[in-house]
Amino acid sequence: MSGVSDLPPAPDVAGTSLDGTEPYVITAEQNAALCRSTGVQPATDGTAHPIYYYVATQVAMGKTVAGVCATCAFDVEDGPMMGSSGVTFAAPLRIGVPYRVTGEIIGLVRKRSRKLGVMDVLDYRLRLHDESGAAVLETTNVWVLPRKELA
Amino acid sequence: MTLQVGDALPPFVIDSVSAAAMKEWAVFLADPNPIHLDAAVVKAKGLGDRVINQGPANVAYLMNMLMLAFPLGTIASMESRFVDNVYAEDRLTAGGSVTALEDGVVSCDIWLRADTRDAVITGTARVKLQA
Repeated sequence: MSGVSDLPPAPDVAGTSLDGTEPYVITAEQNAALCRSTGVQPATDGTAHPIYYYVATQVAMGKTVAGVCATCAFDVEDGPMMGSSGVTFAAPLRIGVPYRVTGEIIGLVRKRSRKLGVMDVLDYRLRLHDESGAAVLETTNVWVLPRKELA
Repeated sequence: MTLQVGDALPPFVIDSVSAAAMKEWAVFLADPNPIHLDAAVVKAKGLGDRVINQGPANVAYLMNMLMLAFPLGTIASMESRFVDNVYAEDRLTAGGSVTALEDGVVSCDIWLRADTRDAVITGTARVKLQA
């Protein structure tokens, strides 16, 4: 593998806001369907499946998946891939609570990979806030954007 | 149950990943990416011959394993690294092992393996045990 000094730079998108505009409410019906789709029954104590950390932040952030890709000058049809996902919870997620999302793109770094050729690695961070404004979780996700046109 | 470092967590098995569930997840995630819905698209992209499961659904299997292993605990944090695709009809096993116990928090290595391809996710988790 060589470096990327011969390639055009990745778009400078660090700091782009991903703040959401609409609240996200986990419904009992959707939580039950989601739980059953993964092979478990929903909790009976008002808590939602913790994977809503990803679902709620993706759906309620300020850009769609296609929009995030477009910000990175990447066509969603070219197939973004999840690289990693991390989350830290301050509290369990609950049914019926209107959550809001804040967040931002941390960086977009162009790399060469033996497997994928040229790719951009997108790093972004999102927080989910309850009605009081307190953050109930923070998640950091990494997507891999294969740049076939630069390979 | 007395936990010790090195203990294996009880596995959580998905006998066959459901293509129908992927259609539900496309709605949950508001993301109609056709690689999760149309095997012809997967073939055309050279990614295989079956639809590909959404990454967060795979993370949910790992969370199920943790919640069943620690029914009175809550997941405090989790890191998942996606190392391979999961396809419809794959048989998966989610598992892990205890790496540390401190101040009522158990740390674990976790993994999701496909019977035919080994690890598809590797990661770590911290679970807060009931006080």
